[in-house]
Amino acid sequence: MTDSADQARVDQALVARVLLADDRRAFEQLLRRYQGLVRAQLRRLLNGDHASADDLAQETFLLAWRKLHQFRGDARFSTWLHRIAYTCFLQARRKPSLPSDRHDDEAAQQTAPSHAMDLHLDIESAMQRLSAAEQTVLLHCVQLGMSHSETSYVLAMPLGTVKTHAAQGKAKLRALLADWHDTDRKEQTS
Amino acid sequence: MSEDDAVEALLLARFEGPVPDEGFCDAVMHRLPSRRRRHAWPLAVGLVVGAAVCWLSLQSVPLVRAGWRDWLSGEVSAPALTLLLVMAGISLLTLAWTIAEADDRRSEPGLQQPVSH
Repeated sequence: MTDSADQARVDQALVARVLLADDRRAFEQLLRRYQGLVRAQLRRLLNGDHASADDLAQETFLLAWRKLHQFRGDARFSTWLHRIAYTCFLQARRKPSLPSDRHDDEAAQQTAPSHAMDLHLDIESAMQRLSAAEQTVLLHCVQLGMSHSETSYVLAMPLGTVKTHAAQGKAKLRALLADWHDTDRKEQTS
Repeated sequence: MSEDDAVEALLLARFEGPVPDEGFCDAVMHRLPSRRRRHAWPLAVGLVVGAAVCWLSLQSVPLVRAGWRDWLSGEVSAPALTLLLVMAGISLLTLAWTIAEADDRRSEPGLQQPVSH
């Protein structure tokens, strides 16, 4: 039995305890297991706005508590939570109080980073040059470790579109990083 | 290591990972409302009362009485067929409604569908 299958069984048992016995401690265990990744997801989606991300994370878990009877076990519990979090993010983004569309246009117009920047800053700048959809897909597929089908479920995006965004995002990152490093190397040798 | 693996490794190195709790769970637990328990008996009572009222109001209709009598005696008459068709239609409508409801509940994670990316 794999780790993820074990985890899924534990999650199912905890969900059953909440639903059948109104066990708040079981929900607290679920909360402690997944708060870290849900908050990390929202912080990334909100471009590092920790306060707003934590507000949305609270909203996510309160909604999960109210709607727990709708969890069927078709997806992993963590995936279900990430989907609620992403939906909360989209709803919040429609309100005027949250900064909308973090990247896209202005990010695309940014100048190339200084060649003296280290790799960390390179990848940071390169990420900002991707479209919002590519960044979101790479966040879920690579950084949060989800499969393409899980990402498709969380983002309510067709599987083919997820795969396309993931491939395009990686290709753009490779090209951007290669360009900058080639230029960097040429400058160093000249 | 392939080029894709290298890009993924860079992205992973950039990701800070799970956020430490720092009182978050306590704050959420403090805000949890009490859970309303769902009781099954109102549905069962409603079904029984509804069926009884339906039967009482329909038994005075001649077509229904004739259809029911013919059906019980095994006679395939027009009233019996009409009654059968009406019952089959209502059953199909109920089945379609149940499937639609079940599908809605399965596809809902608790919120409306995400629509933009």
